[in-house]
Amino acid sequence: MTQALRYSVMIVLLLFFTLPTLWMLGTAFKPAGEYVGTGLSLLPHAPTLEHFISLWQQGVGQRLVNTLVVALGTTTLSLTLAFLAAYALVRFRFPAQLDRIFLLLVLVVKMLPPIVVAIPMYRILRSLNGLDSFPGLMLSYQVYTLPFCIWMLLGFVRQIPVDLEEAATLEGAGLLRRLTRVVLPLAAPGLVATLIFAMLLAWNEFLFALLFIQTPSNFTLPLFIATFATENQTYWGELIAIGVISSLPVLLLAGYLQRHLLRGFAMQSH
Amino acid sequence: MFRSGWQPALLLAPALLLLALLTLYPIAYSFVLAFTDAEYQSDALTFVGWANFNTLLNDWFFQQATWNTVRFTVSASVVQVGLGLVLALLFARPFPGRQWFLPLFIYPMMLSTLVCASIWKAWMHYDFGWLNNLFDAVGLSRQPWLSDPALALWSIVLVDTWQWTPMAFLILLAGLQGIPQDIEEAATLEGATPWQQFWHIRLPLLRPYLFLALLLRSIDTFKLFDKVYVLTGGGPAFATETLSLMAYKQGFKFFNLGAASAIAVIMLAIALVLSLAYAWQVMRRPS
Repeated sequence: MTQALRYSVMIVLLLFFTLPTLWMLGTAFKPAGEYVGTGLSLLPHAPTLEHFISLWQQGVGQRLVNTLVVALGTTTLSLTLAFLAAYALVRFRFPAQLDRIFLLLVLVVKMLPPIVVAIPMYRILRSLNGLDSFPGLMLSYQVYTLPFCIWMLLGFVRQIPVDLEEAATLEGAGLLRRLTRVVLPLAAPGLVATLIFAMLLAWNEFLFALLFIQTPSNFTLPLFIATFATENQTYWGELIAIGVISSLPVLLLAGYLQRHLLRGFAMQSH
Repeated sequence: MFRSGWQPALLLAPALLLLALLTLYPIAYSFVLAFTDAEYQSDALTFVGWANFNTLLNDWFFQQATWNTVRFTVSASVVQVGLGLVLALLFARPFPGRQWFLPLFIYPMMLSTLVCASIWKAWMHYDFGWLNNLFDAVGLSRQPWLSDPALALWSIVLVDTWQWTPMAFLILLAGLQGIPQDIEEAATLEGATPWQQFWHIRLPLLRPYLFLALLLRSIDTFKLFDKVYVLTGGGPAFATETLSLMAYKQGFKFFNLGAASAIAVIMLAIALVLSLAYAWQVMRRPS
């Protein structure tokens, strides 16, 4: 490809991938009369906070807290179980290829369309009194986050050299001591990265929240977003403003996330 | 490697039990429900044999949803992998500012689908959508992006492409960067044109990554639910109804659990084929 062609393709694609988000960031601050216009301007002429104020009055704070609680709870459970499982898979030999069968199960679950388990999940949650509750939602989210965490941590735990652990064993350290004193500190950066991506999964999840949460005050952000784009009416100002609010974590962390994604895909594909 | 009888089993057990409770049990349950006329709040089950499947296979709505899902899955995956390849080729070599540009091409895949759908719902609005404003400005006619049955599905392909091309891009970039530099240098010394290098060196070496990207994107696009839910709700005239959306409506709106479970079982079979192909691709590599 010639240089000129390379750069023009790059610029067109750059516009395609960035303009919609830039538009969102600008439009969230446009007054009602401005965003229904026929112009192409991305920036507001008369910036206003009215949509954010309206969102605040409608309880966006509560929904932010809900989403954070659910994401943290979901991730804590997943990360704990996944860390133990990943460690076992890396450090021990299993009879009859049980480890490979387990990994296959993890992969298949990771690929499963969530609607497939939705109806039985509804019944499980109902029998556990977990409908319309955060613990119930956290439990259902394990379908997404647990396979994801196992898979991602597997890569990190594999890179921890076994010598340190062997030295600890010679000094008489048992499994628990090795895990907490040797493996955990070395796996910390990997755990943090996995934590962030798993929280993102829970932060953005929509289907199970839609099915299992009914009370508006229990809504997570994605559910709350959907209430501004109903079949009958769309509240554009609020819809765009809440888009900004719920994207802030991603936009702020974009650089960090991208480095880990690059690494993750390089590890996964080689 | 450590050897010890019960320790590894103990470490693996909690994750295994939870996965079994959350997936194996529900899947078995769906299989049972698919052969019954189960309804919402009652636990009484009457077995009806293959009736749910027979009804579905002859149902125009199910056929339409299947056709939509297939068209969406194939076209979205192919477009995203194609565009991802273009991006990966652009980013395979260093250029000034590369590390600043990279995140700008990757962040959409990390946004909430609800946010992506909201932005594009506004952009595709007939009267004041930015896309139609742009079309006006350059002298094209306004398009009924989401309200024309012939166009709506492709509009959703466009939105999905915006959000998920980054994933195909990342996979293919990892693949391109894995190609040893000396192969390309040798080819240049031999006098190969850039085009020849692409066709005869890079493309063949990239084939497993292209396959992986296509497979991952198909597995994902096959699930399509959130975007349709927000953008069109399955309309107009069922032009964007997908299998996920139909299962959702049957199960949670019409309370027809038997039919919903039958759709789930059919979807499961298709997803299983795709994910086993993926597992085979990933796990055969020595690690």
